[in-house]
Amino acid sequence: MATVGAHLNEEALKRLDRQERFNLFGLTLPYLGLVSILIIIPIGWLFYMSFIGRDGTLSFENYTRMLDSKAYIRIFITTFKISFLTTLICALIGYPLTYFMSQLPKKWAGICMIGVLIPFWTSLLVRTYAWLVLLQKKGLLNNLLLDFQIIAEPIKFVHNTSGTLIGMAHIMLPFLILPLYANMRSIDKDCVRAAASLGATPSRAFWTVFFPLSIPGLLAGLLIVFVLCLGFYVTPAVLGGGRVIMAAMKISSNIELYFSWGAASALGVVLLVVTMAILFIASRLVSIDQISTRG
Amino acid sequence: MEPKNSFDFDGSCVNADIVEVLNVKGEKMKKVKQILSLALMGVLAFGASAYAEDSIRIVSWGGAYQKGQSIGIFQPAAKAMGITVKEDTYGGISDVKLMVKSGGDKFDMFSSGAGSCASGGAEGILEKLDYSIIDVSNHIPGTWSDYCAGADIFSVVAAWNTDTYGDNGPRSWADFYDVEKFPGTRAMRSKVDAQLETALLADGVPMSEVYNILSTEEGMDRALDKIRSIKDHIAVWWTSGAMHAQLMKDGEVDMTTGWNGRFDVAKRDGAKVAYDYKTGIMDWEGYGIPKGAKNKDLGMKYIAEMMKPEYMAEFVKHITYGPTNTKAYEGGLISDALARSLPSHPDNAKHQLLLSQDWYAKYRTIAAEKYTEMMTE
Amino acid sequence: MNSSSLNISIKDVTKTYGNFYALKNIDLEVTSGEFLTLLGPSGSGKTTLLMVLAGFTSPDYGSVKFGEEEVVLKPPHLRDIGMVFQNYALFPHMNVKQNVGYPQKLRGVNKIDMKKTVDEALATVKLDGLGHRGVSELSGGQRQRVALARAIVFKPKILLMDEPLSALDKKLREEMQIELRHLHDSLNMTTVYVTHDQKEALTMSDRIAVINDGSLMQLGRPNEIYNNPNNAFIADFIGESSLISVSVTNKKAYLGTSEILLNHSAQKDGKYLLVVRPEKLFLAKKTEKNTNLFTGVVTESIFQGESQLLVLKLEEEVYGNQSLQMRIANGFDLKGKIPIVGDELTIGLRKLDSFIVE
Repeated sequence: MATVGAHLNEEALKRLDRQERFNLFGLTLPYLGLVSILIIIPIGWLFYMSFIGRDGTLSFENYTRMLDSKAYIRIFITTFKISFLTTLICALIGYPLTYFMSQLPKKWAGICMIGVLIPFWTSLLVRTYAWLVLLQKKGLLNNLLLDFQIIAEPIKFVHNTSGTLIGMAHIMLPFLILPLYANMRSIDKDCVRAAASLGATPSRAFWTVFFPLSIPGLLAGLLIVFVLCLGFYVTPAVLGGGRVIMAAMKISSNIELYFSWGAASALGVVLLVVTMAILFIASRLVSIDQISTRG
Repeated sequence: MEPKNSFDFDGSCVNADIVEVLNVKGEKMKKVKQILSLALMGVLAFGASAYAEDSIRIVSWGGAYQKGQSIGIFQPAAKAMGITVKEDTYGGISDVKLMVKSGGDKFDMFSSGAGSCASGGAEGILEKLDYSIIDVSNHIPGTWSDYCAGADIFSVVAAWNTDTYGDNGPRSWADFYDVEKFPGTRAMRSKVDAQLETALLADGVPMSEVYNILSTEEGMDRALDKIRSIKDHIAVWWTSGAMHAQLMKDGEVDMTTGWNGRFDVAKRDGAKVAYDYKTGIMDWEGYGIPKGAKNKDLGMKYIAEMMKPEYMAEFVKHITYGPTNTKAYEGGLISDALARSLPSHPDNAKHQLLLSQDWYAKYRTIAAEKYTEMMTE
Repeated sequence: MNSSSLNISIKDVTKTYGNFYALKNIDLEVTSGEFLTLLGPSGSGKTTLLMVLAGFTSPDYGSVKFGEEEVVLKPPHLRDIGMVFQNYALFPHMNVKQNVGYPQKLRGVNKIDMKKTVDEALATVKLDGLGHRGVSELSGGQRQRVALARAIVFKPKILLMDEPLSALDKKLREEMQIELRHLHDSLNMTTVYVTHDQKEALTMSDRIAVINDGSLMQLGRPNEIYNNPNNAFIADFIGESSLISVSVTNKKAYLGTSEILLNHSAQKDGKYLLVVRPEKLFLAKKTEKNTNLFTGVVTESIFQGESQLLVLKLEEEVYGNQSLQMRIANGFDLKGKIPIVGDELTIGLRKLDSFIVE
């Protein structure tokens, strides 16, 4: 018979359970440590550095400077504008493309996916310069258009906002397609069929059933693209021709200009805070838990 | 690090071979073997350190410029000293700061513009150069400083596309800013350096007055407003010498500010480009040593070697940046025709404004912020 | 013709994938208001046929008529059919009401009628009051009911169901079978039901169309299919059976050396299979009339709740090497004595229950 207040093996089983949980925690501990070392500490350090002035003391000079010159606010507006437009272009191109791929038999979709991923294997710099070669004043595209007398004067494709957008959208497109594709593949084809059998025209079925179900993947893709765009450096520097100055470029030039991390860190902090604020507002507008139950 | 590692590797191989031989001789050799091994290790350690001292790591800007430096100066100077030199490229003085502040050890010396060197020196990230070792007695005055030993003189000029303008391109800054007389697209630098000066010169300010005027807020705004007035015609803001050379090669713009040597190289490669030294703003480039560089002492000697006229004379054959050592012009080291094409040739220099390092030390940050503001408008 | 239902007439419908015939010259008439089941193993073509009816698969050739109207060229959304999918295919981003109201919304039904019809449909499937639940909050059975409500809310004249109960557990499935049948009887829409579960088909259908290898094997009422399967496949697929090799000479059938009395004699000489349903065998006296008698030894005796399953090895000298399965209902048949392994039994199969297939 078991002793009073305890059943057979009750204590031992509880101990086992505790042990297991402890072991699990022990296993995650290195990663928790890694995360704090790789994320929390650097960000904390970034904040700290942003309050260090040129003379090495605590100061707000790195922030007041941003208010003094209109360049900073313009650079932030450009950064968010370019990121937003790139994201929009990626969505407009990526969504139909991904939809098409998701409807193909798996084998063909796999081949298409390789096509999407191949640019990933080329360096960002190479892809960016390739656009320059294609789109510049005497580039391939302009020469072609001139030869066929479609245009009389070369079109300015690069060294401006449009060139930056073309290059960035090209580089960012796979980041939209990958999560969206995974999502679209997981949408039950019978749901769309059900809609059709219930009387929905193909376009009605798409907009009332398929599209809402693809929103989680779309949002995930948009978010990744938008956030990655905010930190872009090479592509706007090469294809923007100095007309598109984004935050990362200013961060770099501030290090050179002020010889202090603070001047650059403050920009990073503002970028981080504004990004977080935008994401927070976005998450309010699109309820997160609604997305997760949509699976 | 690489040569040292490979040496260690070789050493251990030798060591293993000897140990093998000794083993064959039998157990009683054990003691001898130990002693020999120790001695060998000592020799290797000595050898390794000697080797490290005999090698120097230098970084520069890459492209046609570094190619000229490498063939004309870096390699032959190292060969003459019996050392090896390892070259790499870098991104500017901020890389030096990053390395010094983080305690890194990537290079012993760097090639840099005088202005960047001066600001690096002021930040305390550079070693003071020892002019008792480096001989600058024959150098053009003003082309060396505490932290930078000048090696070549270059000129910021207005270059034009000869397909567009033929021989009658902008031969003055006034022309460069005159969009009616010279319609076409322009490019200027995305950094402020040597750009504001062009605006004032275009306005007819005499050379001697340029930096006085730029030292006032109105003067700086006057220069910026002048650039603003042609901003619609500035198609590109260039970020590197390679870029402005490419812009001219591709005919992407009709005229640009830029470094004379890059245009000469581009022209040699078939680009339709020309410039006039009457638009020149002279500046110089030299060598500096990061604070705490491992091979600081050898670096000093290496700089002293590189200052010799024969290297500078060889360098100009590759890119038209004039020597700082006046001896290079003597004894037929540089042909007369080549000499006349250099920015520092007296016939060319007399037209040109010498860039003021003092002004940049004082006003660079404010000018740079205002310049960026103007660009982003 | 009943106004709430339509007959379906399928003629010569053929569908190939490469060299593979998914459907081979199918002719099938589904009468108005009928509950017809397409029964077959997986890969038999039954689902393909349903998809042809729904319009999701186009046949290579053939005709499908709903009433008098040819629909084979019509896209699915114009066919006006209710359809219930195997995995429910509920819209996860809509709640129960929105799901059920979806077809009504497409039809531009006004708000008042919408509420009325949706509530009605939910009441029909006994889900009153659950309209505001999210789909993910429902149990499997409830989801199935929502799918059904959604398929009938607009009162289609034809209802198609693709193995709708396969994801439910046994007990719930059996309840739903009866409920679906009642629902059909009250709504009276022509129903085509696909299943691989022969018992489900027998339980629910007016008629069963057995499909295998893309061909229609037999069409008939459940008892016809069960009692008179017209080939070995059906005999084996539907219900339990022991298939015993027999030979026919001069219209007389022999099992080994023993003659077998048949309900319908075979016309041609040759090899046949005697279909023996386990429950039709009974413990017999040797004097039973109009009955085939076999003697054998019990090799397995398994208690299965409602019945006892016996496996008998028949006397080898007389019947050759043959075994029979036999089921004795757990009740009066046993009279307390359960045959055990090793017992020698005499069993009977009435002439009436004895039939052969090719």
